[in-house]
Parts: sequence; structure tokens; C-alpha cells
Amino acid sequence: MDAITTQQPLSSEQIFNLLKTFITEVIGEEFVEDLDISRESSFTRDLEMDSIEIVSFSEKVKSHFGEHIDFTGWLSGMDLDQLINLKLDDIIKYIESCQSSK
Amino acid sequence: MTSLNTLNHASHQSKNKSVHIQEYNKGAKETIVLIHGMFSNLSVYYFNIAPVLAQSFHVVLYDMKSHGMSDRCEYGYDLLSMTDDLRDLMDALRLKSVYLAGYSYGGLIAMKMAMRYPSRVKKLAVIEAPDPSDSETLSIIDIYSKEFLVDYINNYTDTTRMRVGKRQLDKNHRMYEYLFYQTSIKEDMHNERFFFSAEALDSIPQETLLIYGKSSNCLPSGRKLYHTVPRSKLILIEGDHNLPIQQPAETAGKLKDFFEGWQVKIKQINNRLWQALRL
Repeated sequence: MDAITTQQPLSSEQIFNLLKTFITEVIGEEFVEDLDISRESSFTRDLEMDSIEIVSFSEKVKSHFGEHIDFTGWLSGMDLDQLINLKLDDIIKYIESCQSSK
Repeated sequence: MTSLNTLNHASHQSKNKSVHIQEYNKGAKETIVLIHGMFSNLSVYYFNIAPVLAQSFHVVLYDMKSHGMSDRCEYGYDLLSMTDDLRDLMDALRLKSVYLAGYSYGGLIAMKMAMRYPSRVKKLAVIEAPDPSDSETLSIIDIYSKEFLVDYINNYTDTTRMRVGKRQLDKNHRMYEYLFYQTSIKEDMHNERFFFSAEALDSIPQETLLIYGKSSNCLPSGRKLYHTVPRSKLILIEGDHNLPIQQPAETAGKLKDFFEGWQVKIKQINNRLWQALRL
């Protein structure tokens, strides 16, 4: 099991940095250098991630936050256009909402 | 990627090659295995289809060799080898018998599996499987080039509607270059061109669901299968060959209804009746 249970709720900034780390792990440091990752970055348009990379990213989010968030469930409610337009900020807000409703 | 016993994802070691799998709802009694198509990966099911099926089933997705996040392999893209791979994966996961669904070339793998190992496939669902003898899938291999790839990705793969950036284009190009020029995939797929006529498709014993897009150029293949596979029914959904991407909710709903079968439906109606009587 590689699920790590986070005890303390993370701040918005901490979540953002964590997600940036995951993105770097998925697409590789050499590509991240050329990208200006911000909260407004969208996964497919700005970060140019394809669907299997988003799968890999989702798994990292899931294994980090464990059962505290239903990340796949949340994603499954979206259609393709919503997935394409998904921004980092949407995920940060979702994780924050899960943390506050614990 | 981590080892097999992780919560939701794993890389299963098969003959020293790592196979990327994803599992949902591990505790469920019955299992559905979903096979993706050639030049695609398990993400075709991951976001919208698998979560729906996982409401009632244990669901297993895997990336074929050299696809998605599985290890590369120089040979073994024919249906016999591909079903060997699937059998090995089922053995490793201790799955005796499963509900099996495959999309496109994955549909051909699913049919081959149902014929080779009838006792290990409870029900069979085939989504948009092409007849390899008249398929455009095979002809693209011969005219492959990087320029062609841009057009192909924009029009035919499950990345439709996504803008293709340079990194993605290079990544896809590397995959196609590898598969087309360093593996046996061309020859292996070419050798399967008589699959619809040479194989005993009329001996498929399982109840079979065929799902095709109303405007798909593979629809004639679906009709052919419907007339050949004895216990088959054909369902048409609005869309073309990219059906699972275009209509994930409807595709998932049809698969779920089919695999659950009428017994579950009756149980659900019974439950509702009891609830109504109690009110």
C-alpha cells in the first residue's frame, strides 16, 4: 500500500505545490521547465497532458489522500469537455472541500 | 507504478514484463475485465465507464504490451499471444471466470478469449470490433508518417477534440515508430485478416452483446457478427468508432445492464416493491 494518510488539512498553497510535484513526476522535469504551471493551468490545453498521464496523476492524488477523497468518483461525473477544461484550481478547491467536510 | 498489492493500481510482472493495471471495487463478487483498442490505453475506460460498472462489479483495466504504461515488447500482437497475456493476467489476479468486454481490436481479443477459454468467460461484450479483412485500421499501418499521425490523432483516436501539442505529438510519434518499425505488430495484425471467416465465430458459446455506433464505418462488421455469433444481440448508439469516448455514460449503462442480467433486475424490482409495500 502506498496510501499516505494526511493528518493535518493542507493549505491551498500546499495542495498546489503537491499537485505541481505530481505533474512533474508524471510528465518529467525537462518538460516542466518550459511550462509556467499556475492555478489556472488546464491539464490538456496548457500542460498538454494526455489521458493516460491524467490517469497517472489521478492515481498519485488518490494514493496521497487515500480514502479522504473520492477523486475518481469526482472525475467520473465529468464529460470529456469538462475533463479537457479541468484546471488545477478546480482540483485544489475539490480537495479543500473534502478536507473541510471531514 | 507500484507492486500488485496496492490499493487501486498495480504493475503486474508477467514474464519479466510489467503490465499496468487499474482495479476498482476489489471486494465485489463478480469481475469485469475491459480490454482497450490498438494504439490506445486503459484511459478509454478509466474516467467514465469503469466507475459506473464498479457500482456492482470488481473491475479490472489493463494496458496492453507497449501501450499506456505497460512495458514495451517486440513481438506477440496476434490474437493468440494477446489472449495468452490476458490468461496470464487473470491467473495472476486469481480470476477464474469473468465478464469480458473489449473495444475495437480489444473486441477481437475478447472474442478470441471467449473461444479459447469458454469456461473463463461468463458473458462477452464487443464494442466496435472491426472486421480485420476490410478494416481501415490495418491500412493505416502502411501509410504511416508523422504528418499522417497529426491527421490520424485529430480524427480517429480517442484524443479526438483534444488539441495535440508538440510533446504529445512527439510522444505518440515515438509510440507509433516503435510499434510499426521495431515490433511484429504489422505482421501480427495482418495475419489476423481472416479472423471473421477463418475462426469459428459461430461456436462462441457465451451470451454476447455487440455495441456499435450508428454512424461508424465498423457497423457492417457488427452486423456480420450479429448474424454469425449465435447468442448475440446488437445495440446501436449514436456515434462513430469513438463510441466509448463519445457516449461513455450510455456505453457503460448498456454494459452494466447486460452483465447484471435479468436476475439482478428482478431483484431490484422486488426490493422496490417491498419498499413500496412497507410505506
